[in-house]
Amino acid sequence: MIRQITSQLKPWTYLPLILLFIISSCKVNLIATYNAEVSAEIQTLAKTVDRFYLNMLDNTYEANNGRAFKNFTNDYVNIEVDLNALYLKNKIRPLNENSTKICKTTLDLFKKYKAEHKTKNTLSDGLIKLNRKTFSDLFYAMQVAEDAKKIISNSSTNN
Amino acid sequence: MNFDINNTINDMLAAIKGTVSDHWEHVKETAMQFLQNEKERLEMIAQLRISGDLNQEDFESRLKDSQKIMEAELEALAVLSKAIIQKAANAAIDVLSKAVKAALPI
Repeated sequence: MIRQITSQLKPWTYLPLILLFIISSCKVNLIATYNAEVSAEIQTLAKTVDRFYLNMLDNTYEANNGRAFKNFTNDYVNIEVDLNALYLKNKIRPLNENSTKICKTTLDLFKKYKAEHKTKNTLSDGLIKLNRKTFSDLFYAMQVAEDAKKIISNSSTNN
Repeated sequence: MNFDINNTINDMLAAIKGTVSDHWEHVKETAMQFLQNEKERLEMIAQLRISGDLNQEDFESRLKDSQKIMEAELEALAVLSKAIIQKAANAAIDVLSKAVKAALPI
């Protein structure tokens, strides 16, 4: 039956069909698709880091050694674990190099500032504020990158 | 078969232009926000050097970190631009696909 139909078709009948198929299946893919779970994790982690530094700033003092590194070890470990998990989650997503780089910079700087705190065994108000600002800016960049992927998600539902 | 390549190209260009202009304001606002963040952070670093919270070595180290943050912000803008390019390119391909489909003798 199929052989009968195909033998009746002239080449100029099915060539445009092939062309249409090629054009229809041709889609440009430059970035990963939006991931609501990752977006929520970025927000949660941004809040955790903000709370960490605000708590250090408002509830501890340099004078009575309240900012000794050992007082914050658990928080540092928990945040680093979450940041590392987010980095790996970004890294395995195809076409996600840009977001992965932002996450890597955030993780590297967090580790660097943790090491600085460990070495000096204290942090001034000014440095806490600067660290808080640094991570707020990095999480904002991370969120911008993830939210930008919504643009293509919206277009694929429209098409 | 009724397929006018000039009309199709014009329609494709209109689709690209429409998509880019729809999102251009968003790119501009985000870039301005990044610049504002940079300004605030660099001001803080300068103040901390003046107050002595940062010695010269730490000051230079923080400036290098700021450069890395700027690069991260550019990565975010790259994602935004790629998203717009992807949406525009696919809108143009969609126009071409529809035009070819309409011209098919079936």
